[in-house]
Amino acid sequence: MLRLSWLPLLALTTCGSPPAHQQGPVRLTVSAAASLREALTEIEPLFEARSPGTDLRLNFGASGALRQQIEQGARVDVFVSAAERPMDELTVRGLVDSATRRVLAGNELVLVVPSAEPSPVRSFAELASPRVRRVAIGAPASVPAGEYARETLRSLGIERAVSGKTVYAQNVRQVLAYVESGNVDAGIVYRTDAAVSGRVRVVAAAPPASHRPVTYMVAVVSSTRYPREARALGAFLLGTESRSVLRRHGFRLPETAPAEP
Amino acid sequence: MTLDWHPLLLSLRVASAALVLVVVAGTLTARAMTGREFPGKDVVDGLLVLPLVLPPVVTGFLLLFLLGRNGPVGSLLERVFGVQLLFTLHAATLAAAVVSFPLMYQSAKAAFQAVDRRLEDAARTLGAGEARVFLTVTLPLAWPGLVAGTVLAFARSLGEFGATVMVAGNIPGETTTIPLAIFFAADAGEMRAAGAYALLISVVCMALVVGLNAWTRRRVPGWRRGGGRRA
Amino acid sequence: MGAGGVLEVRVSRRLPDFVLEVDFTVRDEILVLFGPSGAGKTMTLRLIAGLERPDSGEVMLNGRTLVSRERHVWVPPRERRCGFVFQDTALFPHLDVTRNVLYGARLKGEAARERLEHLLERFRIRHLARRYPAELSGGEVQRVALARALMTDPDVLLLDEPFSSLDLETRRAVQDEVAAAHETWRIPFVFVTHDREEAEQLGDRMVFLRGGRQVHEAAREG
Repeated sequence: MLRLSWLPLLALTTCGSPPAHQQGPVRLTVSAAASLREALTEIEPLFEARSPGTDLRLNFGASGALRQQIEQGARVDVFVSAAERPMDELTVRGLVDSATRRVLAGNELVLVVPSAEPSPVRSFAELASPRVRRVAIGAPASVPAGEYARETLRSLGIERAVSGKTVYAQNVRQVLAYVESGNVDAGIVYRTDAAVSGRVRVVAAAPPASHRPVTYMVAVVSSTRYPREARALGAFLLGTESRSVLRRHGFRLPETAPAEP
Repeated sequence: MTLDWHPLLLSLRVASAALVLVVVAGTLTARAMTGREFPGKDVVDGLLVLPLVLPPVVTGFLLLFLLGRNGPVGSLLERVFGVQLLFTLHAATLAAAVVSFPLMYQSAKAAFQAVDRRLEDAARTLGAGEARVFLTVTLPLAWPGLVAGTVLAFARSLGEFGATVMVAGNIPGETTTIPLAIFFAADAGEMRAAGAYALLISVVCMALVVGLNAWTRRRVPGWRRGGGRRA
Repeated sequence: MGAGGVLEVRVSRRLPDFVLEVDFTVRDEILVLFGPSGAGKTMTLRLIAGLERPDSGEVMLNGRTLVSRERHVWVPPRERRCGFVFQDTALFPHLDVTRNVLYGARLKGEAARERLEHLLERFRIRHLARRYPAELSGGEVQRVALARALMTDPDVLLLDEPFSSLDLETRRAVQDEVAAAHETWRIPFVFVTHDREEAEQLGDRMVFLRGGRQVHEAAREG
């Protein structure tokens, strides 16, 4: 009796600890800009179907905050940034593999208002009007969309007039949430974010010259334990299947085969 | 590095304004709740202490719901007065007040309960009305507990983050108090600024607590020092 | 000072263990409420002073109704002119002797000052005027409590086992103090005690309470 009852336990312990690199799923952690949430969530199963045994964990946030986490040693395998700067900073420190760095997509900056009620805001310039009491943008220090938004406000000459009523959000999705709830009068987000929400209305697009181009970058993090799988993911993101998903979500795509500009 | 002092000033403004609300409301509520029995008293008491045990973020969420432009209170304020509370310093003050209220209430209640009821009765038989009983007997005897509650509530308001971040937003120079500034600076990797603010708020809070301890030790009224007979 | 005072008490009040029912009248005399602990003696005093409300009945002082359930009369304690000396005195610990005694003064300014001086003298506590209660001996505390209660010019004085914590000698001394005060003030005194000797020593008349009921009433002989 006693001897019998030990058997299953033994069986468990002997086959329960295979060498990690041989069996069991490879878990790739992807830190990606919050504005990519819908697109990447859609791409995830496509990739997993192509690479059996690889399991993606998607971690969304402001690109600056994600960069920060990687600098602090967070276990991340692939980084997708909504701007060049966070990627540049990690490249300089050797924290991402510069050979794997690519332009993934582009985006556009738009002004949104709550769609539930008529809004007095019809253009960027009107943000300076006293009728507009609260404007939400991402915190420029950590949210690329916020940085671009500030560049646009500055180039339109209304940065100072707007600064006292600007609510800085932690990421683009929070900007969107503030606008959706009507708790701010307007917000500046990517066109792709505006497309996700049924409760905001796009009233204007930022003139392309008013801010640096919005460029999403992808690169493999140097400390990854799975460089092969991480590179495979990088390549997949630039491939046809992924591109069609990104396009459908409103991202602009680099024209030719992806290469470092 | 030059440090932006706005967050400290805003924190002090928020904490001071919240303190006025909390001291008045906490003391009066505690007074009303001591020495009185009514059905459901435990439930009311529990509700009053709730913000102390709830995660501040939950309190913040409730406030966000109430104060939002489409929330029951927010929409009323918008329609009647045309004001918006959310993402203002008033919202930060309200959040700080709600979260620190239980500290004042609890301290005041304990202080009032410790006052001998017979002393209040004695004052009544000596011709004192309820207001005079409260001002000349209850309040002086409960004083140390009330001061402790005040300091605790102030320190709590000064450091309030969870509920504040939900309703105050992050408007530098307008609603970004020290805890918010620390959080957003750290989020953006500005570790030196975050560290400086953290140090600043720690020093202020420490000074408050040390000051309170010194006060309670030094300012022992004559009648408490006694105890022995001098005759 | 007072003249021709009369306190009429006829009240009942439900207590956890029994129903308290008392019915007595006090003129310018010392009535002792006597009985074992928990007989309802203290509650009787509190009903007279207005610190508790009766379930039925009424209390009249010098013809004025202090409380009457039947006639819906309620005079709050501060307007009843009932002096009260509590068990263990209940002096205000944060006020010195002078301010304790002055607390209930009805007079103002110079008149109050004069009355204060008189009472400090009368109860031999002038040298304690600046002391706090914690710095007084048991007998001194009782004399201050008497002075404080009498400072209000009460129409009746209620004493709730004021001497139960004193040693025998001090107790005798303050009992004499009470008897002498009664001689001077000539108002109804109601004195609660569970000590037979004290009851017989002080009382002109005695009401014996047990389980909330008046079981016996006796007048001093001779």
